[in-house]
Amino acid sequence: MITVSNLSKAYNGVEVLKLENLDIPKGQSFGLVGNNGAGKTTFFSLLLDLIQPSSGHIKNKNVLVHESEDWKPFTSSYIDESFLIGYLTAEEYFYFIGELRNQNKSDVDNLLAQFVDFFHDEIIGKKKYLRDLSKGNQKKVGIVAALIGNPEVIILDEPFANLDPTTQIRLKQILKDLASKQGVTVLVSSHDLMHVTDVCERIVVLEKGEMVKDLSTSEATLKELETHFSN
Amino acid sequence: MVKQFMSLEWKQFKRASYFQKGLAIKILLVLGAIYFGGLAILLGGGMFFILRKVLPEVDPIISINNFLVYWMLFELMIRYFMQQLPVMNIKPLMLIPIKRNTVIHYLLGKTTLSFFNFISLFLFLPFSIVLLAQGYPPTNVILWFVSLMSITMSLNFINFLINKSNTVFYVIAPTLIVLIGLEFYNIFKISEPVGIVFNALYNNPVFVIIPILIMIGMYYVNFKFIRKGFYLDDTVSKKVKEVNATDLSWMNRFGSIAPFLKNDVKMIWRNARPKQVMMMSFFFLFYGLMFYTQEIYMEMPAVLAFASMFITGGFLLSFGQLVPSWDSEYYKMLMSQNIPYRKYLESKWYLMVVAVTVSFILSTPYLYFGWKIFAMIAAGALFNIGLNTFITLFGGALNRVPIELNVKAKAFSNTNGFNPTQLLIALPKMVLPMILFYIPYKLINFNAGLLVLALSGVLGIVFKSFFLNKIEKIYQKGKYKTIAAFSEKK
Repeated sequence: MITVSNLSKAYNGVEVLKLENLDIPKGQSFGLVGNNGAGKTTFFSLLLDLIQPSSGHIKNKNVLVHESEDWKPFTSSYIDESFLIGYLTAEEYFYFIGELRNQNKSDVDNLLAQFVDFFHDEIIGKKKYLRDLSKGNQKKVGIVAALIGNPEVIILDEPFANLDPTTQIRLKQILKDLASKQGVTVLVSSHDLMHVTDVCERIVVLEKGEMVKDLSTSEATLKELETHFSN
Repeated sequence: MVKQFMSLEWKQFKRASYFQKGLAIKILLVLGAIYFGGLAILLGGGMFFILRKVLPEVDPIISINNFLVYWMLFELMIRYFMQQLPVMNIKPLMLIPIKRNTVIHYLLGKTTLSFFNFISLFLFLPFSIVLLAQGYPPTNVILWFVSLMSITMSLNFINFLINKSNTVFYVIAPTLIVLIGLEFYNIFKISEPVGIVFNALYNNPVFVIIPILIMIGMYYVNFKFIRKGFYLDDTVSKKVKEVNATDLSWMNRFGSIAPFLKNDVKMIWRNARPKQVMMMSFFFLFYGLMFYTQEIYMEMPAVLAFASMFITGGFLLSFGQLVPSWDSEYYKMLMSQNIPYRKYLESKWYLMVVAVTVSFILSTPYLYFGWKIFAMIAAGALFNIGLNTFITLFGGALNRVPIELNVKAKAFSNTNGFNPTQLLIALPKMVLPMILFYIPYKLINFNAGLLVLALSGVLGIVFKSFFLNKIEKIYQKGKYKTIAAFSEKK
């Protein structure tokens, strides 16, 4: 689904990301881990064409990301709060995203109905602007909005941070189902090794912009990651 | 303690990103401040003589006392829309051992240094000096001046309450509207009793004690109010507003640009900064009064063309110049969404067109100045719709300054969303209508000037998609730069 070749990104001559080859097949749940500054967000920003690569390219379903915009209809993402429109209520935001992704009101309502548990009665019908929600609730809105319109690729930057334990567990289930049952390619980054090993079938470790490990998740993976990061 | 607060403020001021911007802007701001300050001083100094000339049979001090109520109202209104309330970063202060009262006194004290308090000072100090020079009794004049300053301070504190407490707002705003209405229709002239009060203040200097007491009272009320709400979730920090959701589904008839249009309407309605811009553009409507009433300008039709363009162009100029910036807070999301740039721009275009049309309808009272003037306004409106919108959108592509939506722009201290490029792009917007009108006017006649101005607008409308395509390309080219600039932390 996603092919990366010879991708690099440099700021003022300092290389912050360098990925020679990376292939993410359709329906894979893909995890990205690494310390601060390892290049996770840079990689996601490149995937979303928010920054330009210094060299190389990314193909999303055979569309060259930095040249065509045809990847947008089937790709969705939530990176940070700047993906939310602060002066809208949660519902208004969902409908707005729905309209952008050619979903009518009832389509969106149907989707939202599946997330009643996830929202825990704190999002819908609350008459609050998104800017007034807590960080965790903002994140919930952003993540669910990224599911609108049956995307084939979903990119989430640190989806577990700021969420309460109950929601973390629910989110894990949602993400697993997306990949295994609906064939959605899910890309997730996280600082929580336990969560990624739970959710992802494949985990890539970045260090100073380079890929140092590419693991397919097994019983031993968590241990291996822990040893890697304790050094 | 106060010294430490001051040093914190100074650091905040000095290290704020807007301060570190170009020297040019700083100079411009200083010039602007000097200009308006100087204007106020001149007006204050000259007021005495103007009043004596216009109303020779009334003592200028009495005329001014009769007018004061309007000034106070005006000041309160300007304050409500423009004055940035001191929202101190109280979180770190709540945890360290400082008396709450000290912080509050400091906070309130800080408001006394607001630019808006100085307008009154600059106006009435020279006026009082002129009075003294003209041989008016010093005690009366000086204490009258003290009264006015106390009232200004009271307004300062009242404004704080109006902004912070909905109850106060809902009591004061309707009262004022009713009073203004009664005054306007000559049912009950509130200005008369108020005039009497001000004259009494002047004639009996002892009464100065009343405004001073009011000021102290207001300070006390404010103090109590803040003291009560000195917790993170209350007064001094940001306010959480209950949503007023309006059904905008009727806008769906606009088809593919409807989602953006609906969003823009909500954006304007629910955020402090765009609301302020709306308000300002309303004042543009009165711009013509400055020109059409003056004999000299009647001989300078190019200037009139400029004024006529301004009347209907308020929203266009002030909102339009910040076009991508309005969405700076969530620009990244827009860019990763399935959005045709074209629709985004088109929605903004329609918004401006609607604004120009509404302004044009509201400007019909200018018919009073004759058909010629009104035809000029109409031609100016066409120019605005057909050409100015595109020039403005084009200018927006060069503007990459992020805006904080829910923060009011501060007078003379906030350059958010303002840069020299904008000044440059503002030039053609203002000069072009003058040229378009003036050349055919000089060569042929007045009507030819009107026709060319109007036709230029029509041409713009005809070539709408051509222009939008070109502008879209420019926006697309600057995409990465814009994203990077907008995500820069303020």
